[in-house]
Amino acid sequence: MENKIVDHLFRHHYGKMVAILVRYFGLSHIETIEDAVQDTFIKATLQWRKQLPDNPEAWLTKVAKNRTIDLLRSIKSEKNRADKIATGTSSIELNDLFLDHEIADSQLRMIFVACHPRLKPHEQIAFALKTISGFSTKEIAAALLTKEDTITKRLNRAKQAIVKNNIQFDFPSPNEAQDRLARVMEVVYLTFNEGFHSTNKDKLIREDLCGESIRLCKLLLKKEKFRSGSLYALFALLCFHAARLESKTNDANEIVDIREQDRSKWFFPLIQIGNGSMNKAMEYDDVSIYHYEAAIAAEHIKAKTFEETNWERILNWYTELQELQPSTFHLLNIAIVNLQLNNFEVVKDILEKLPISDLEQREYLYYGCYAEYYAKRGDLVLAVAHLDTTIKKTSNRQERAYLEKKKLKFEMQSQI
Amino acid sequence: MKDFMMIFIGADYQQLGLSPEELQGRMGKWFAWGQKMESQGILKGGEALVPNIKRVIGKDRTVSDGPFADIKEIVGGYYTVSAESADAVVKIAQDYPDYDLGGTVEIREIMVFDQ
Repeated sequence: MENKIVDHLFRHHYGKMVAILVRYFGLSHIETIEDAVQDTFIKATLQWRKQLPDNPEAWLTKVAKNRTIDLLRSIKSEKNRADKIATGTSSIELNDLFLDHEIADSQLRMIFVACHPRLKPHEQIAFALKTISGFSTKEIAAALLTKEDTITKRLNRAKQAIVKNNIQFDFPSPNEAQDRLARVMEVVYLTFNEGFHSTNKDKLIREDLCGESIRLCKLLLKKEKFRSGSLYALFALLCFHAARLESKTNDANEIVDIREQDRSKWFFPLIQIGNGSMNKAMEYDDVSIYHYEAAIAAEHIKAKTFEETNWERILNWYTELQELQPSTFHLLNIAIVNLQLNNFEVVKDILEKLPISDLEQREYLYYGCYAEYYAKRGDLVLAVAHLDTTIKKTSNRQERAYLEKKKLKFEMQSQI
Repeated sequence: MKDFMMIFIGADYQQLGLSPEELQGRMGKWFAWGQKMESQGILKGGEALVPNIKRVIGKDRTVSDGPFADIKEIVGGYYTVSAESADAVVKIAQDYPDYDLGGTVEIREIMVFDQ
């Protein structure tokens, strides 16, 4: 099999084609377009069973073009729809839309549509995964650990919001651009986190989410007008995290603490790309939470062993991050870092004042930190007691298994 | 050697709403299977069928359009292969990619008329 098909070709091609066709016909036809594009893949799947075309991507593009023409006919024939075509058709020639830079342009427009403020945050992520990344409802549900029904509803609401608000398939106007770009970065960041911090038992789904976020980020970086320190820093952050993705869980899908991760397994090429991107970020004046988070991630990666981690530096970054954008999570992290530095008084002080309810379903992190605190101070009985609370507050099975193991370790230590 | 037809029933991709990623995965499996049979010289031919169905029934030649019955019963395509026996084809059919989607492979020997 010499002509193997590139991984994710269909998925990525789906996003491209939907974006191109929407650009041509307008957002109001998105559903028809999605069905038509889906149909080309079914055809390809059946036709390529026996013989792969020499250039599968070119084949798909050709079919998509033909589908466009079919679509044009069918849309035209729909009564009272003729006037709507005019709003969708841009001055650009159909053939030009299939040029690489125009494809990228169309996809970027789609990203901005997905991140439109009229769509709710949950809807934005679902809509982006569907239209840009070519995930099915089922795949989105699996990725976001939600029911398929919920995703269908979110997608429908997103589409309704687009129609109701007459959202155009366009880039935001200059006065909105900054806010919208900030939201786009947030959606990319959140999508990545869904993959990275998720305890989804399907490793592939986690990798897909992270991979898609990185792809979108790269797409944004292609356009000069979107480049900024924040965007480069975000890209760096994603690369640094992604480099560790593989070693975060073992073959049995158990969580591996950063303490015990095999650092030789961290993916060096991604770290290098991240470093390059971080250097680029420094050429701009803007500063964002991504700068600090990337700096913290880089600091972890730099350390050859867990013991060699430069906790003072990390504490510094967290402190500055907290000043830039105060959050209870950052405070908790500051406590955790202080614990590594054995600043017990500081840790206790922060933990006692922490507004726990802000942590919502991740409250267990707070009790986990307390458990570590007591363990470090040598009070294993209290450490175990706090771990018990942590376990009770943890809904995720994978996390719980990890905590149970830790508890066992503490209990054994206390018996010695 | 005899000729057999493997008839693929059910597992219609259109109805199942498979994602592009899943479709690509399925296609890869079909392609690999086809290549394997080809390299063993057992694959004679075959086609995939469009799921739109027209039926002509009865002495009045009544024409009706689908959908009929269950999608699980729709023939989606066939391969003709040459093999020693139906059991040998059963072995070949182990690699059919769509069992998990509720697909079925029906194996039929092609009749040969002796002179």
